[in-house]
Amino acid sequence: MKRAIELNVNGDPHELLVAPNQTLLEVLREKLGLMGTKRGCDLGACGACTVLIDGEAYLSCLMLAVDATGKEIMTIEGLAAGGDLHPLQKAFIDHGGLQCGFCTPGMILTAEAILNEDEHPSEDVVKKKMAGNLCRCTGYKKIVEAIMSVAEQSTADA
Amino acid sequence: MRLPKFEYFEPKDIKEAVSILKNEPEARILAGGTDLLVNMKHRVECPPVVVNIKRIADLDYIRQDNGDIRIGALVPLKRLYMTAAVKDSLPGLARAASAVGSYHHQVMGTVGGNICQQNRCKFFNQSQWWRSSRPTCFKAGGEICHVVNKKEICYSTYCGDLAPALLALNAGIKLAGDGGEREIPIEKLFTGNGKAPLSLTGAEMVTEIMIPGASIKGVLNYMKFANRDSIDFPIVGTAFWASAAEKQYRVAFTAVDRRPVRGKNIEFFLQGRELNEDNIKAACDLAAAEASPVKTSVYSPSHKRKMMGLLLRGAVEKTLNMK
Repeated sequence: MKRAIELNVNGDPHELLVAPNQTLLEVLREKLGLMGTKRGCDLGACGACTVLIDGEAYLSCLMLAVDATGKEIMTIEGLAAGGDLHPLQKAFIDHGGLQCGFCTPGMILTAEAILNEDEHPSEDVVKKKMAGNLCRCTGYKKIVEAIMSVAEQSTADA
Repeated sequence: MRLPKFEYFEPKDIKEAVSILKNEPEARILAGGTDLLVNMKHRVECPPVVVNIKRIADLDYIRQDNGDIRIGALVPLKRLYMTAAVKDSLPGLARAASAVGSYHHQVMGTVGGNICQQNRCKFFNQSQWWRSSRPTCFKAGGEICHVVNKKEICYSTYCGDLAPALLALNAGIKLAGDGGEREIPIEKLFTGNGKAPLSLTGAEMVTEIMIPGASIKGVLNYMKFANRDSIDFPIVGTAFWASAAEKQYRVAFTAVDRRPVRGKNIEFFLQGRELNEDNIKAACDLAAAEASPVKTSVYSPSHKRKMMGLLLRGAVEKTLNMK
């Protein structure tokens, strides 16, 4: 039986009717039209569906939509403030940290969660925590460089 | 991949959860979801009822209690290695938690869920389409085992990372059920039956993990060998606990049997002995006989047996270097 739920996505409340077996990924893409969150393996092994829930990196393919009520959900569409790109988005462009772009939303949101947790993570920590996000194009080096540039920038600002 | 349909409950307290579990014997408990929902997408588990216990308040604590450490079943794995009480006093347990899956799995997965994860097998953890090319196996509800040609025995392997560390720490598990609460040694939680790996009965659920103060005084190390170090289940995992002053040792292995196993012969041999080269070598030589791995993963049983000794040596040497 469907349930009426309210999801807070990128600061906007949405009243929705969802079945318990619908994942957050399905609801974001199919009911809210937020296609930035990608369906990759759909089994929690590739990280393409990563969203931020209360600032932490979650796999939206392994989370029930009904379980996400009462939480702050952020997708890639909500990261840029106004017309300005988020520093991580800009760094990915500046460092060439993407090619086809399919993994990029998940990469950027996982990176954001890592920086939420620790503003100045070491490169080893970044590499270990990003390991659940798979990219089949760039080879990761430029992705890690992009993230480290933002981490170093916040160190310089501090 | 859509999830199969199910009835969904969100109990607010343990009493309500137990009462749902009592009325719905086929129900499955949902915590982090990183194990159950994958199995449901693969259609190897299709419970008619899913009980989401994450709304239960006060099950995500880490408390010091008369020298013991008590960990609520809903503590996320990430918090286990980020909390000073665990990181400082039990770095080996923190290491085991940080060895689980990827960063996302550590954010979402819970301590209780990790311990209670399903056994794994290369013929079971596959999509419905993949499995359709051969008869359904015991574990998925069929009448055959594709690994070992024996009747009505499922040889799937327990692959959790936390369980061996907790076995080596002599941890206790608190269960809540229809008959009230009870605490059992973690060893008693595992049945050794691949089809039903947990000994939970009477609408029971895991609510707490207790690590005794005596174990916290020792040193624990966990070594894991996996295909990809950063994300995969262990091919073999080894936990080694040592109390140098009393020359007491405990050893546990994961991913080599139908349940996480203690290395009882190794422990018996090492008891009261110094960790010198001769004793370490003899102990590592005993490792291969401590479990009965079968070919439930792409790695051969003989490779797993060799890795058990090698990982034990690594864990012992790490322990010696920490002193």
